[in-house]
Amino acid sequence: MAASSKTTVVLKTVKNIVVQFCPFESNVRSTREFLVLVGSEKARSTNMNCEVMTEVKHDQSEPVVDITFMDGERLMMKGARLTSKEMLTALQSRCVAKDPQAKITAKK
Amino acid sequence: MAATLCGRLLPKQGWLPLTQSVRHGSKAVTRHRKPMHILKQKLMAITEYIPPKPAAPPGALTPRVKPVQEESGLVLLLKKDLQTMFQDCKMIAVIQNNATNSEDMLLLKHRLHKHGIKIKFIPNQVMRSYLADSPYINMGPLFIGQTVLFVSKEPKVKEMLLSLRTSPQMVLLGACIEKILLSRQGVLNYAKLPSVTVVQGELVSGLTMLTSQTASMLQRHPTHLSLILQQYLKQQAPAGSTNGTPGESPPKAEETA
Repeated sequence: MAASSKTTVVLKTVKNIVVQFCPFESNVRSTREFLVLVGSEKARSTNMNCEVMTEVKHDQSEPVVDITFMDGERLMMKGARLTSKEMLTALQSRCVAKDPQAKITAKK
Repeated sequence: MAATLCGRLLPKQGWLPLTQSVRHGSKAVTRHRKPMHILKQKLMAITEYIPPKPAAPPGALTPRVKPVQEESGLVLLLKKDLQTMFQDCKMIAVIQNNATNSEDMLLLKHRLHKHGIKIKFIPNQVMRSYLADSPYINMGPLFIGQTVLFVSKEPKVKEMLLSLRTSPQMVLLGACIEKILLSRQGVLNYAKLPSVTVVQGELVSGLTMLTSQTASMLQRHPTHLSLILQQYLKQQAPAGSTNGTPGESPPKAEETA
């Protein structure tokens, strides 16, 4: 039933995550929730090299999450109209796709 | 009942008519539905009685009015605290924390306590309901998710920023410093400002610069002043003549005279 079976993400294939938002905007809730999920201790402990950087701006820009993977691929998510769950499942699916062997052995 | 049971209980031998009776050729149900003509059937189907639907009960139609919940005592207490806090403290900063450890939190608290900055945890609902009534309503959208308040009586922004730099998970969202709402950039700029006395000194020196120059000139020997004024006249005269129009030089001569 839950779209993501675990609330934590495995960040092994992620190089760094940059989250930028403007807190005075009204469409920021999902991005902030996503930041909490990704910046939590559990998620960070899966990969200590992955940096989670936050930029707080005040230029009425859209909230954007920019994720760089180990193989150079970039995932940009514009969080204005997305929920935090959708963003999390998108990230998780890509992580699993990139590193299927580790996931399969972990699940086994 | 006897007729249904007789099929099982009646063995071909040993049948006692006195104790076991069998109704032969008589049916229980004698009233059968008479076959109707198809047209009559159709007519009957069309003209069936449709009972009127009962109206919905009065409770279902009116929208349910939620009873206005009175704020509990704790909420009122928190609101009073907030009121005093906003009146006393010059600096109130809003920080989002993404799951900081308790050890990190303790360290941070200790560091901030040295500078007289207190950390407050207030539920967002209470905060938002308080801000809606107060003049600080524009701070409302900041309070989404996990937020922590740093309050202090003196606006010690530099120390706060230094201690926040050590904990990467605490993100500064905004601050209300001396009743002015500032964004993160605003807070950083505020930290770079020199102190009030320095600014006042600069302002005073800038305003009195001209007068101090004239005062110093007058204090010197008056020949110095007369030489300067003669030089000034000489500079004005060629400038008037090189322009060419005679209309300009008489007004200038009138001005210098």
